[in-house]
Amino acid sequence: MSKRSMALAAVVVAALLAGLVVAGDAQTQDARLEAAKKEGKVVWYTSLVLPSAERVAKLFEAAYPGVKVEVHRTGSQRILQRVMQELQANIKNVDVVHTSDAGHFVLLKDKKLLAKYTPAGVDAFPAGFKDRDGYYYGLRATVNAITYNTKAMSAAEAPKTWKDLLDPKWKGKLVTAHPGYSGVIATHVLALVHLHGWDYFKALAENRVMIVQSANDPATVVSSGERIVAVNGGDYSAYQLKKKGNPIEIVYPKEGVPLVVSPTAITSFAPHPNAARLFTDFTFTRECQQVMADSEGLYTGHPEVTYPADKPKLNELKLLTVTPEELEKRNEELKKRFVEFFGA
Amino acid sequence: MDRSVAVWVFAALSLVVLMALPLGWLGWLSVSGEHGATLAHYRDVFTDLALRKALWNTVVLAFWVGLVSVALGAPLAWLTARTDIPGRGLIRGLVLASFVTPPFLGAFAWVMLAGPNAGILNTLWRSVTGSREPLLNIFTMPGLIFIVAIYTFPYVYIMVANTLALIASDLEEAAAILGAGRLTVARTVTLPMVLPALASGFILAVLQALALFGSPAILALPAGFHTVTTQIWSLFQFPPKVEQAAAFSIPLLLATALLLQVQKRVLGRRGYAAVGGKGGQRRTIPLGAWRFPALFACLAVMACAIFLPYGVLAKAAFARAWAQPLSRDNLTLGNFTFTFFEYGATRDAIVNTLELGVMTACVGAVMVAVLSYVTNRRLVVGHQLVAFLALAPVVVPGVVLAVGLFIAYTRPPFVLYGTLWILFLAYLTKEMPVGYAQADATFRAIPADLEDAGRVLGAGRLRILKEVTAPLAKSGIIAAWCFIFIGVIRELSASILLFTPSTKVMSVVIFDLKEEGQFGAISVLGLVMLGLTFATVALVQAALGRDVLGTRK
Amino acid sequence: MPGVILKSLSKRYGDVGAVDGLSLEVKPGELLALLGPSGCGKTTTLRLVAGFLAPEAGEIWVGDRCLSSPASVVPPERRRMAMIFQSYALWPHMTVAQNVAYGLRFKPGLSRGDREARVREMLRVVQLAGYERRYPGELSGGQQQRVAVARALVVEPEILLLDEPLSNLDANLREEMRFEIRRLHETFGNTTLYVTHDQGEAMVISDRIAVLKAGKVAQAGTADDLYHRPRTRFVAEFIGRTNVLDGVAVARDTVAHGHLRLRVATADLEPGARVALSIRPHQLRLGEPGAAAGGANAFRGTVRRAAFLGDSVDYEIAVADSDLVLRAAAAPTPRFEVGAAVGLRIEPAACVPLAESDPR
Repeated sequence: MSKRSMALAAVVVAALLAGLVVAGDAQTQDARLEAAKKEGKVVWYTSLVLPSAERVAKLFEAAYPGVKVEVHRTGSQRILQRVMQELQANIKNVDVVHTSDAGHFVLLKDKKLLAKYTPAGVDAFPAGFKDRDGYYYGLRATVNAITYNTKAMSAAEAPKTWKDLLDPKWKGKLVTAHPGYSGVIATHVLALVHLHGWDYFKALAENRVMIVQSANDPATVVSSGERIVAVNGGDYSAYQLKKKGNPIEIVYPKEGVPLVVSPTAITSFAPHPNAARLFTDFTFTRECQQVMADSEGLYTGHPEVTYPADKPKLNELKLLTVTPEELEKRNEELKKRFVEFFGA
Repeated sequence: MDRSVAVWVFAALSLVVLMALPLGWLGWLSVSGEHGATLAHYRDVFTDLALRKALWNTVVLAFWVGLVSVALGAPLAWLTARTDIPGRGLIRGLVLASFVTPPFLGAFAWVMLAGPNAGILNTLWRSVTGSREPLLNIFTMPGLIFIVAIYTFPYVYIMVANTLALIASDLEEAAAILGAGRLTVARTVTLPMVLPALASGFILAVLQALALFGSPAILALPAGFHTVTTQIWSLFQFPPKVEQAAAFSIPLLLATALLLQVQKRVLGRRGYAAVGGKGGQRRTIPLGAWRFPALFACLAVMACAIFLPYGVLAKAAFARAWAQPLSRDNLTLGNFTFTFFEYGATRDAIVNTLELGVMTACVGAVMVAVLSYVTNRRLVVGHQLVAFLALAPVVVPGVVLAVGLFIAYTRPPFVLYGTLWILFLAYLTKEMPVGYAQADATFRAIPADLEDAGRVLGAGRLRILKEVTAPLAKSGIIAAWCFIFIGVIRELSASILLFTPSTKVMSVVIFDLKEEGQFGAISVLGLVMLGLTFATVALVQAALGRDVLGTRK
Repeated sequence: MPGVILKSLSKRYGDVGAVDGLSLEVKPGELLALLGPSGCGKTTTLRLVAGFLAPEAGEIWVGDRCLSSPASVVPPERRRMAMIFQSYALWPHMTVAQNVAYGLRFKPGLSRGDREARVREMLRVVQLAGYERRYPGELSGGQQQRVAVARALVVEPEILLLDEPLSNLDANLREEMRFEIRRLHETFGNTTLYVTHDQGEAMVISDRIAVLKAGKVAQAGTADDLYHRPRTRFVAEFIGRTNVLDGVAVARDTVAHGHLRLRVATADLEPGARVALSIRPHQLRLGEPGAAAGGANAFRGTVRRAAFLGDSVDYEIAVADSDLVLRAAAAPTPRFEVGAAVGLRIEPAACVPLAESDPR
């Protein structure tokens, strides 16, 4: 009980401090750091692939000693499930929510579960990274791509387009992640439904596709050779595996690649609001965004970030986008039809 | 009578908190609609094609697991109990190891062994034969059945081996002297006497398969099919359909209760007293030239359950890429540093698991000790009912219990969700029957005379409890403690619905990591879990002075 | 040294009355055996006396203390009794010395040295000196038995209870221990209740025997009484072998069975009443057919079966002109072959009318 009342007190304090923060001068920065240190930690529910999430956390802890980051990494849909279940039981645990399903943030905003907060420096980000109402901002972006195992085929043999994957020669050789787990994949499915219709997935399912959960997993499955082509998945996890020497290559289909902007937001009930703001600001700094681009292979909205030479620039790709609102509205339909076709 | 009241108040309260409240809510939610009672959820559940398929898959899985378990367990039991097969102690030890191996770890290891393409066994097969087709595909129904069965057959083994150990050879020789040949003796005497044990082992295996969550989640979901347990779990995904999950839990609950009833009948009909040929000797049957082929067959089974999975876990724990040979470049301690030092959730989960394990085991051991003492010494009116209640949770599969607990304890008056307490309740309920059975056997083996003898000489009941009963029951209760502890640290099917990010346990972290394909970290955690389990088993064996599978010498 | 008085004790298990209005007195210093077949209520009675069970009716008195009544039961530990169990109930986690010394802990005013001395002395009495540090599991059955005896006697109980203490021993040892227990009783003189189903054991050990049937005392008395003057058919048949003969009293001292007329030991029969007679086999006198002519209770018969038992011969005699078949035990000489005609005489004193009906 005392925890809860402490959390309540923290919220009140946070509300008071919020006014100061907006003023945004060096003195209040210091005051905020002190407040964050008093809170001791920030609880981060994130869908960022685990090693990357832990790296961001370590960077932050190095920059702000005395404030710990508690990383809880799972799939986007699981994060939403957790947040909602905890709230139902009146548990206020999470400070910062970060998933790859932009639809979640529409939902959370509607339910008044997000705090309005504009991280420092996001003004310069492209429009696709910003919520009009100022509740959530795109922390990172990835595109869905095809990955194949280079030991199993030459570049010429590899599929070039999404439609190529329907060829029966891939039967039993494909792997997909699950929209019921991953926001990256939910976005992917919706974008391809726009492009090719549900018939595409119906036909794809004919190829007896192995089903994994996380959008990071198709690439690991392809690396191990368990399946040789991944029909979706964030290109950043594939890129990392490739850099580590795994025998995989990434294909960006010509029809266009679904862009997944993964927003982050502070909850309205955050038990550690100051730490949450400090952490959110940190994740939007050029330093942190550059790390995500360099070592994680992610795209970001930060204008000054540079990208590895062996990765296509965002503006070189044809991007397929979906609106968070549509994603939110059709979430249930996406999962249901996917399960209908793929079985689980 | 006053002590009866106290015991009953205690038992009734426990019952309400552990069983009545969760299951009551479960039942109620399954029939509650916006406008009062409704069967709509049942209609939804049983008209949904996908859910009906899941139900059917579970039936298929459970039935075949039962059969395969009998096919593996019965011959192994006969070989070790009755023949001169070499290495009997070793085989028994390996069966025990398979018994205590968390099935989801086995399933996970077999993904690395027999994934159709990258699986180590399949790679080997292809390189040896040049075939393009895999030897085994674990992501299939037969694959799932096999994996579940190699960790479930010990139930059949235990039932059959212990029964065979009770059947004196006289009974068989009596048939032989009347002119029955070896096969006829086996068919007309041995088999009928073992049949109840066989049937009951079959049912226990079926029950395990029904209630299992981890293995289907790891093997069935990638293959694109659900079982009841994984389906219930996915009904909890956002937006949660808790009412449907409740409605879908009811058939599982009923099936379990029904099967247990059948098992009781099967065991009860032919008295084991008749089997207990006191003093009769049990002569071993010489296998002759078959000794080593038989041993080889046993070891082949155990290779599937133990050697290969443990080996691949160990390999993956030390490898950068588990599918590649363990060359110098591929060797790393990185998985350990990542698991223990970089991934924040691990340490919390280990601490939570140990905390819950110790807490549940301590509270549970005290509870089962008190309850079984009270029932064995008939200290209260209606002691049979106390015994019944202590054993009752056995009919509740972990997932179903978790659904009930989730519903009951996410709302007032008891909001326990998000705390370790809800997991504690789940574990306590789930492990109560195992602990009670052990404690009951312990007190049964201490004749009441030993206590009465002291009382006549002038010692009060409490004093006798302390000076006579407690020292004699100590090792049995320690064993109960260990059984509960082992049960807790491997628990997944209830935990998976009840954890929150701040109350993760090891099994849940392993499952989380599995969803992300972090094979190295899972293997490290898996080894830790196995280490803990075997250390505890060693403790039991030391306490009981016998192995966990067997009857008292 | 007080005695024990049981007054109209009753104890039921469900619908079954295990003990049903049982009354009995054990005199101070007496060893009384409770004898009866299984299910007669003898062990229940003993456990009532020990205080493990509470009676539903009746009272148990020891001296001037009422220990049990439906209203209140003194717990076993405050009864100043000791008990020897069928299973011996030795504590396997304590040594012989610890087992024996256990009861002494509850005796006030005994120093540690006193206790040790008494234990040593008692072990000497039961011939187990030197076994102090052994554990019960390391002893033979007979030795365990002695430890149990020592543990019970060392506390000098007011009342000693024994529950079939010899039934787990083999035959030779049992014989030996009977005399041993009797010897110890004569040495210590405790008021003792001894439960057994073995009449031979009861006869050797006890001062008096109470034969129980259906939760009641059928008859209590010395072995001699019970054997020679049984009062019920059950007692007559349970103690030793006997012939029971049903008939009708035709005079105050005569019973008729068909054409046969038998003079009996008493002269208080109600003419016309049904009477059962007990005639012990060894009290039938056999002789040549002619020798039996005339006199009271002389009949003729035919040998139906004969079995040579060494010191006697066991005959089955069909009595002439009657449906009666009697067992007779006679000296090996003269011998009568199967089919031989014999004369048969029974002293009136050997024909004991069974005056009372058995408890049901």
